[in-house]
Amino acid sequence: MLWFKAWLEVRWRFFFMVGSILFVWLTPMWITATGVHSGVPAARLWMAIQLASVLLFIFTAIYLAGSGINTQGIYTFTPGFHGSMLFTLSLPISRRRLLFVRVGLGALQTCILVAIMAVYIVHLRPESTSALQALIYLTRTIVCTMAIYAFSVLLSCVLDEIWQVTGAFIFWTAVFLLQAKFDWVARISPLRGMSLNCYPITAPMPWEAVLGSLALAVLLLWASVLVVQRKEY
Amino acid sequence: MNEQLIETHGLSKSYRGTPALRGLNLAVPRGSICGFLGRNGAGKTTTLKLLLGMLRPDAGEIRLFGEAVETEASSIAARRRIGFVSEDKELYPFMNVGQTIRFTRPFFPGWRRDLEERYLELFRLPLGKAVPKLSKGMRTQLMLLLAMARGAELLLMDEPTSGLDPAMTEDILRALADSAASGETTIFFSSHQLAEVEQICDRVCIIDEGQAVIDGELDELKSQYRRILLVFDGLPPRELSGLTGIDHLRQRGRTASLLAHGDVDTLVEHARSLGPNSVEVRPVTLKELFLDHVRGE
Amino acid sequence: MNLRINFSSGVPIYLQLMEQIKHAVETGAIRAGEQLPTIRKIAEELTMNPNTVARAYRALEREGIVEVRHGLGVFVAGPQSSAAKTAEIRKAGEVLRSAMEKGMALDLSESELRRVFEEELSRLQEKAATTKRQT
Repeated sequence: MLWFKAWLEVRWRFFFMVGSILFVWLTPMWITATGVHSGVPAARLWMAIQLASVLLFIFTAIYLAGSGINTQGIYTFTPGFHGSMLFTLSLPISRRRLLFVRVGLGALQTCILVAIMAVYIVHLRPESTSALQALIYLTRTIVCTMAIYAFSVLLSCVLDEIWQVTGAFIFWTAVFLLQAKFDWVARISPLRGMSLNCYPITAPMPWEAVLGSLALAVLLLWASVLVVQRKEY
Repeated sequence: MNEQLIETHGLSKSYRGTPALRGLNLAVPRGSICGFLGRNGAGKTTTLKLLLGMLRPDAGEIRLFGEAVETEASSIAARRRIGFVSEDKELYPFMNVGQTIRFTRPFFPGWRRDLEERYLELFRLPLGKAVPKLSKGMRTQLMLLLAMARGAELLLMDEPTSGLDPAMTEDILRALADSAASGETTIFFSSHQLAEVEQICDRVCIIDEGQAVIDGELDELKSQYRRILLVFDGLPPRELSGLTGIDHLRQRGRTASLLAHGDVDTLVEHARSLGPNSVEVRPVTLKELFLDHVRGE
Repeated sequence: MNLRINFSSGVPIYLQLMEQIKHAVETGAIRAGEQLPTIRKIAEELTMNPNTVARAYRALEREGIVEVRHGLGVFVAGPQSSAAKTAEIRKAGEVLRSAMEKGMALDLSESELRRVFEEELSRLQEKAATTKRQT
């Protein structure tokens, strides 16, 4: 019943995400349809599409990480305190389990959307792609997106909705800038791990980025559990 | 059965430097209906949240059902036997009545279907109605249903009848009285409505500035406390304030009003010896008891 | 039985309930051998605390006014000399009435009269308590 409740809580977010993705995609598809006529090379278009998609991956992760037990508490900046949290907390259930269900559902939704987008990107690729290459791309994209998701989960434990999104964007922009300067950041950065600029679809699995992202995700989720357990409502 | 379902010793809690509770000592025995009174900000909601594990105490001990509640695990074990009604009566806005009940049921293996059906019928709650569309009264009734149908041994409620019309208030009080009459439920609720506390509670606890100033059986308190009114020729003599047994003394012109408990007869004797024109001994209402103990005059 | 409790009064509720039940017995509203309503029924009807009702019943049992028959309920105890008690109450009412009429004739208001009455009553109570202590 907890999963059903979590679903009811976030379904509008999910639908909004689906709508946004469709909207963003319909534009390049339209461009592709007209662009081919206007002489823009397909390869260029494809790169533009996958770049836009990276931004979509990131936003999906950030947006679907919000709401749930991690967000509502006395430290919210806006008076949007969801009073039903008191009802939830009066139930005989651990905060960890509440967090896991909520985070789990959001993660599932994110993975599904990212997977669909990734598969479609592969499909749009002008050259043909082998199944293995597609699988590698899919895996690294999902894992790296999960790191971004986990960071937003942790942020939403201490910040309100708007600040969480802002904070996340600021953070990943900072990472983006830092990875150009510092090699070690570049090696484990999830942003690079999901980018086809840095690791083309023909490249082998970028293990450092993928494992780094995985470790980061696990660490951030563990920290989120600790924060939620100590929180006062 | 003298088992204390709720016990706190020296319970203290501060929010960002401001103390909300300063060594609260509380004891609620099984089977009683205990009213928790206090001014706004005196610490009532904080106490309830501490009992349920939503807040962690800075100091002191909490025991529920005789067991110390310090870890999340022990809090969860206690919550299996507790029903809670929050002050705002907020439930999930994305559910309707039926879904809310179906959501809550699996958490409690001791769920009482018979009580669920009885209160659904009694309160006339439409299963398909979305929670945001419910009036505050119906939300209160739904929360009460959820709290009682789970077979809870202890009901904790934060101002259960606030904002309700008299008819609905009476319905709720009757449901509470009935629940207590079955012998299976102990009720502890905070309230601003003295009248209903007097009606339904057999125990009362008054909290002021983070501490319990009164804690006992209501009928006992009414037996022990007396108001003594004295009228003097001139100003009341200074010795008056020195007499033992006075809880509270108020002087206005030639009249002195004493709130006394314990050996009232001796006190009246001593007061008489000071030569008043008239001595009147009256019983004390809960309202007087409350105001005299929290106004801090 | 027509029970009415003043919950806001300073008089303990269980005492009020006891008084009302005793009065009902004296006036014959409920007779010896008849069953009193269950604790649950009274608590429900008056929307009051069942423990308080139980306490009143226990006190009444101690005073011998009712008897608890386990498994069956609470019953009014044996044949009461209700007639005698009723007569005594009526007589006291007559005495007090004439005293009050005399008091009113002294041009005292109702509240003044009540104050005098309570003062005298407390004086009597004190006297009785002092006498009890001396014996």
